[in-house]
Amino acid sequence: MAGNPTILTALNLTLGYKKGKQANAIAENIEFELKKGKLTCLLGPNGVGKSTLIKTIMGQLPPLKGQVCLEGKPVQKYNLREISKKIAVVLTDKIRMGTLSVRQLVELGRIPHTGWLGSLSPADKSKVENAIQATNIQYLADRSLSELSDGQLQKVMIARALAQDGEILLLDEPTAHLDLVNRLEIMHLLKTIARKENKAILITTHDLEIAIDTADEFWLMPCGSPLITGLPEDLIIQQKLDVLLPSQYMHFDKDTGKIKSKADLPNIVIEGPVSLKKWLELALVKNNILKLPENQFISIKTSPFELILHNNGNSTKFSNIKNFLDYLKQESV
Amino acid sequence: MKNNPTYLLFVLGLLLCLLLFILNLSIGSVHIPFGEIAGRLVGKPLPKTSWETILIEYRFPKALTAILAGISLSVSGLQMQTFFRNPLAGPYVLGISSGAGLGVAILLMASSAFGWVLYQGSLGVWPIIFAASLGAILVLLLMSLTAWKVKDSMTLLIVGLMFGAAVSALISVLAYFSEAEQLKLFTIWSMGSLGGSSYAQLSGFSLALLLGSIPMLYMLKSYNAMLMGEAYAESMGINISRLRWGMIISTGILAGSATAFCGPIAFIGIAVPHMARLVFKTADHRILLPGSALAGAIILLFCDAVSQLPGSAQTLPINAVTSLVGAPMVIWLILRRNFSKEF
Repeated sequence: MAGNPTILTALNLTLGYKKGKQANAIAENIEFELKKGKLTCLLGPNGVGKSTLIKTIMGQLPPLKGQVCLEGKPVQKYNLREISKKIAVVLTDKIRMGTLSVRQLVELGRIPHTGWLGSLSPADKSKVENAIQATNIQYLADRSLSELSDGQLQKVMIARALAQDGEILLLDEPTAHLDLVNRLEIMHLLKTIARKENKAILITTHDLEIAIDTADEFWLMPCGSPLITGLPEDLIIQQKLDVLLPSQYMHFDKDTGKIKSKADLPNIVIEGPVSLKKWLELALVKNNILKLPENQFISIKTSPFELILHNNGNSTKFSNIKNFLDYLKQESV
Repeated sequence: MKNNPTYLLFVLGLLLCLLLFILNLSIGSVHIPFGEIAGRLVGKPLPKTSWETILIEYRFPKALTAILAGISLSVSGLQMQTFFRNPLAGPYVLGISSGAGLGVAILLMASSAFGWVLYQGSLGVWPIIFAASLGAILVLLLMSLTAWKVKDSMTLLIVGLMFGAAVSALISVLAYFSEAEQLKLFTIWSMGSLGGSSYAQLSGFSLALLLGSIPMLYMLKSYNAMLMGEAYAESMGINISRLRWGMIISTGILAGSATAFCGPIAFIGIAVPHMARLVFKTADHRILLPGSALAGAIILLFCDAVSQLPGSAQTLPINAVTSLVGAPMVIWLILRRNFSKEF
């Protein structure tokens, strides 16, 4: 692959809606470069303007300031049909028409390329077949849309967008409402497509953990400050992911790759293996038990699992954490 | 797309249409044998000259009207259902039939309410067609104004229904103040009629059908894109506002002319597109458009044949028959397949 040419750029972009003469800016100072062959994840809290950004990229909403440039030319200068040959989308709307088969839906993706009747040429048909193969939905091709599961439907929608054959794919929360396996599958599928078909793929998602595992690039969209872009791993090390979180309660833990509550760790002496200690601490934090009376400490024994509360030479044993918590609560009453 | 079952269905449909057409010519207060008509169609003269007059002056225009109205209403219903993505949308949701009704109501009943004399029977049916057209055009203009201001389809649909309701209320007021004779005239109009068309009116109707179909034919692909909703359609390069205008103009002309020439005809516009979807098992408008048109012609010809009350000189109002025949048919179709999945 000869580098990753940039296909979409924005400089000093202000997003928002115009109502009459009043301009209502949603996000300002946005700068980005979307590259071919890469999977880019746009992360940000609800209402921060992710969908507005998508609409602006699609040319459906003029920016208040600045420009989004598609191959060096402002998106506003393209007409709808020209854009539709460059950018294909997967939106959050659910399409469930029983009279439409999977293949027919994928064929709809060819609409920008066909004549007024929409008849498919052999070239169109082979694009449709390629899209069906790239998303591994051959076995679904003749089923009706109403028979599909959410995960299957999402793959079909991706196939339709692929058939549209633009260099850019925009997906608005493609993994929402899906189970863990399907979320992983969809994200890995998108990553494969980005590599193999050399597409620039931009998705919005709230699925931080899976995004870290799959994305080539992160765009973080915090409230009221400019877009932060970079390699996910770099952003983690620079602790930039914290901008997505309400900073007074939570932070992104570099070591575990998880979002953690900022609450204090319990000031309790616990002896035992670290792997078990961590879960006991979590249970204590959740139940707001941060201290034990003086001279008390806990030890953990493995096989069989046992918790022992040491109290001035006396010891009480528990077979699981729940019994232990119940005991502590009773004591404190 | 051109698979055999679809092709076969169209051939069967055309044959059925032809059969019903001849049946329609055959039955009525004077029975003309089926065989004689089939013979007349291929050029053999009829044994009685009175039959010839009945056939050429009355039954032929009537059967043609049924076909034209069936096509117009079904095609405009199909457009409405796809555009609004609503299975209950029909040609009248934008208030067109109410508008036409108001025009006719003013013509027929305002005379007693206001003391004018607007309508004398001696002028024939042209004034009624004219008044209905004016009313339909008026509502269409109001809707266009709304469509220009409002960008949201659901809002447009609700405004259309409200226009219809308001206009119906005006008609009720007129009806309340009118005299029994005039009220009866209006009631009969509102029950619909396929008869009474002359060849001049038929050519007007055909022209309207032709004009009204052009926007839909031109935008067939856009309607297919609309299956996925406006946002997706736009992402595939479809200009939604152009589609909306085309839809308003097309259904306005089609449903407006059908109402003007035949009065409001219930059920066809809503039900026939569903039947076409169920029969042809597709959502592709390249098949649904001719499919709905054919099904509309067949159903209306059939309803007209039923309205003749075989063996009697009486005829039922066509509106009653379309509903009586159509409602059970649709219920059956819906129960046979899971209808909620179709939309």
